[in-house]
Amino acid sequence: MNKEYDICIIGSGAGGGPVALTLAKAGYSVLILEKGPWFTEKDFYQDELACCRRSVYTPELSDEQHVIVDVDSDGQWVGEPTSESGWDFWNGNIVGGSSNLMSGFFYRLKPEDFRLLSEFGPIKGANVVDWPISYDDMEPYYTLVETEVGVSGRFTDHPLAEPRSSKDFPYPATLEHPVSKKFDQACERLGLYSLPTPRAILSRRKDNRRSCEYSGYCGSYGCSSGAKGSSRAALLDQAVATGKCEIKPLCKVYKLSSDNSGKVVSADYYDVKEKKQSVNAKLFVIACQAIESSRLLLSSPGPKHPNGLANNSGQVGKNLLFSAGGAGSGDFDYNTMVSQESKEMKRRGPFVNRGLQDWYFIDDPALGGRVKGGTVDFLLRHPNAMSKAMNAKWDDENNLVWGRALQNQLKSIFTDNQTLRYEIFCDWLPTDDCFVSLDDTVKDKWGSPVAKVRIGYHEHDLKIGRYINEHSMKVLSKMGATNVRSSISGAPPANLVAGGCRFGHDPQTSVLNADCRAHDVENLYVTDGSFMPTGGSVPYTWTIYANAFRVAERIKEALG
Amino acid sequence: MTNTMVISRREFMTRLGLLGSLALTYPSAALAELRQSSKDIPLPDWIEEPLWKTIAQVQETLFPAAEDIPGAADIGAAIYLHKAIENPHADGKDRDYIFRGIGWMDELTQQRYTKNYIQLTENEKEKIIEETVQTKAGRKWVSLMLTYILEALLAEPVYGGNPDGIGWAWLEHQPGYPTPAADKTWDQLRQRRS
Repeated sequence: MNKEYDICIIGSGAGGGPVALTLAKAGYSVLILEKGPWFTEKDFYQDELACCRRSVYTPELSDEQHVIVDVDSDGQWVGEPTSESGWDFWNGNIVGGSSNLMSGFFYRLKPEDFRLLSEFGPIKGANVVDWPISYDDMEPYYTLVETEVGVSGRFTDHPLAEPRSSKDFPYPATLEHPVSKKFDQACERLGLYSLPTPRAILSRRKDNRRSCEYSGYCGSYGCSSGAKGSSRAALLDQAVATGKCEIKPLCKVYKLSSDNSGKVVSADYYDVKEKKQSVNAKLFVIACQAIESSRLLLSSPGPKHPNGLANNSGQVGKNLLFSAGGAGSGDFDYNTMVSQESKEMKRRGPFVNRGLQDWYFIDDPALGGRVKGGTVDFLLRHPNAMSKAMNAKWDDENNLVWGRALQNQLKSIFTDNQTLRYEIFCDWLPTDDCFVSLDDTVKDKWGSPVAKVRIGYHEHDLKIGRYINEHSMKVLSKMGATNVRSSISGAPPANLVAGGCRFGHDPQTSVLNADCRAHDVENLYVTDGSFMPTGGSVPYTWTIYANAFRVAERIKEALG
Repeated sequence: MTNTMVISRREFMTRLGLLGSLALTYPSAALAELRQSSKDIPLPDWIEEPLWKTIAQVQETLFPAAEDIPGAADIGAAIYLHKAIENPHADGKDRDYIFRGIGWMDELTQQRYTKNYIQLTENEKEKIIEETVQTKAGRKWVSLMLTYILEALLAEPVYGGNPDGIGWAWLEHQPGYPTPAADKTWDQLRQRRS
C-alpha cells in the first residue's frame, strides 16, 4: 500500500530544498521526487568533458527537449526543437538542481524591485506589476539564506545597499584575485562604487561542508568540497539527516492528478525502471524550474481544471522571464607587464568578487527620465580549456584554421593575456511574447508533450542594456584593457529563468497568491522562480531560496 | 639541451604541480622526455588497420609536431578518438561521419595522386586537406576531426589523450582539481542517468 506523505515536492533545486528542510525539521514527512540522478561531492571532478561537453548533468536532447519559438527573418514566430538547433535549455537535472552548477553570485533584490509599477510607471507592451509582498516581508529570509545556505561577503554601506537585519555576512569574503585591486582603482578614478560581490560559497568550514578550495573551476562545475551553497549540499543533506525527508532520484513526474474538489491527490511518475507509479500526499509543491513547472501544470488537467492545473484563468506559463543585458570583456596583455604583475594576473583560483550597481536606477534625460537599470558583475574568463581552444578553429572570416596556423592561434589565445569579463543583468520585461505552452507534436521519451517556449523580448530591455554597457566598457578601458568588446542582445540566457506562474492578489491575472499557493488549488504551492512577476536586475537564486524559506513557513502553518 | 633539463615524466608532473608556471617554461624538454618514454608503450593492434592509419595521419596533418609543439601522435589523438567514438554512450553520428569522411578522402586522394593518403608527401597531404575544406561537407568533417584533436590535447589524461598533461603544459594551462578517477569519467557518471 502506498504511504501518504505530508508533503511531496517535485524538484530538488533552490525552490525545493528550503521547503524540504523546513518541513522535515518541523517533523513532517517529506518526499522529494527528482528527475535526475543523485551525485555527491565524491562524483564531482574538474572534468570539462563531464561538466560541459557531454550530457551528464542534463538529459540528452534526443530524449527530452524544448521547442523554442523565435521570430524569423520574415517576422513570423517559428518553433525549432532544441534537438535540431542544439540550443540546450536544461540547466542541471540532478539532485540539488542547477544550484549545483551555479557560480554563486548572490545579490538581493532591492525594495523598489517589489513595486516596479508604482516606482517607475507602466511601459507600453510590458506587463509590469507590483509584487503582492514587500522587501520587508522577504528580508528575514534573505538573512536566513546567508546562514543556512552560507553566503560569504563583506558588507559595505553604500547608497544603494539593501536594508539588512544583520550587520554583516556570516562568512568573510572568499579570497580575491589581484585584478580586483586594479578594478577598485579604476572605479575610484571613474567615481564609481566598486561593490564586493557576495557569494554562496563558504570561505570556512560549515558542518560537513569544507571551505572553498579555490581550484578556479566553479560555475558549470559541481563542487567537490561542498563549499558551494547548492540546495543539495546546504539543505537536502541536512533534511535527509532528520530522518523525515526521503529523496527519490530518477523519478520523473509527468502529471499531478486532482479530484472533483480540485485538490491534488497524487503525483504520477515514471520510476527508475521507467514504470508508472503514483504517490499520495496532503500537500504538493512544484519546484522544477520555471519552464518545467509551467509545463507540469499544463500537463495536469483535472475535473476542476480542464485547461491544466491552476490554470482556470489561463495564466500558467505566461509572463516568463529571463535576464536581459549582455556581456563584455577586455584583455590584459602579459607582454605589457613586468614579470611579477603578469604572474599575479595569471593566478587561478581566487574570485574577482566585484560588481557595479551605479546604474541600478538611471536618471538620464536620454532615457526619458528615471528608469530601472541593472547590475554589472565582473569575473575572469571561464578557465574551460576546450571551449577556449574551439574558438581557435575559425578565423575572423569564418575559415577553418588547421595545422601550424591553428597551433599558433592556440598558443596566442592561451598565453598572451588574461581576460576580464562582465555580465549585465537587467530586468527582462514580462510581455505577451514570452511564455510557455505545450508543443503539439514534439514529445519526450515518455510520450509527454514538451514545453514550447516563446522567447520574445521587449525593446526597452536592449535600450537599458546598451546604456549600462557603454559605461561598463569604460571601466575595462580605464583598467588598461585592450580589445574591449561586448554584445547586448535579446537572446535569452537559458540559465536565468523565472516567471510563468506569477504571484499576485488577483486570481484573474496571477496563478499564485501571496503565499505562492495556487489560487484555485488549496493544497498546491509553487516555490521555484516561477512566482516572480518581475525579475529584478540580479541573478535569481538568492531570491528563490529566500522565497522558498518564506513559503515553507506558510506551508507549515497550513499543515497545522 | 643540458642534462639537468632532462627530467622524468613523474618528476615533470611533480614540478608542474609544485612549481606551477616555472616548469611550464620547458615544453621542449618535457616533449622530448615524453617522446622518449612513449616509445616503450605498446600501441593497440587496431592502430595498424588501414582506416586508423589514415585517421592518424590526417590528424598529424591537422596538428603537426615540431620540436617544441606536440603533434597529434604526441597528444594521443588517435587513441583518444578511438576511445571517444567507440564509447557506447557516445553520439554514434560522429563516428559515422568521421568514417564517411575518410572514405571521401580516399577517393579524392586516389583521383588526384592515384595513391593512398598515407603514401603522400606532407605537401600533398596538406593540398588534400585544403581541397577538402572547400566543400561544406568537407569543412564539417575537418572541423569534427579538429574538435576531437583539441579534446585529446586538453581533456583529462584518463580519457586517453593529453599524456602526462603535455597539452596543458604546452599551453601553460592550469587544470582544475580533483581530476577524475577511472570510475568517475563522464560515461560512467552518464550511466547513472538511466
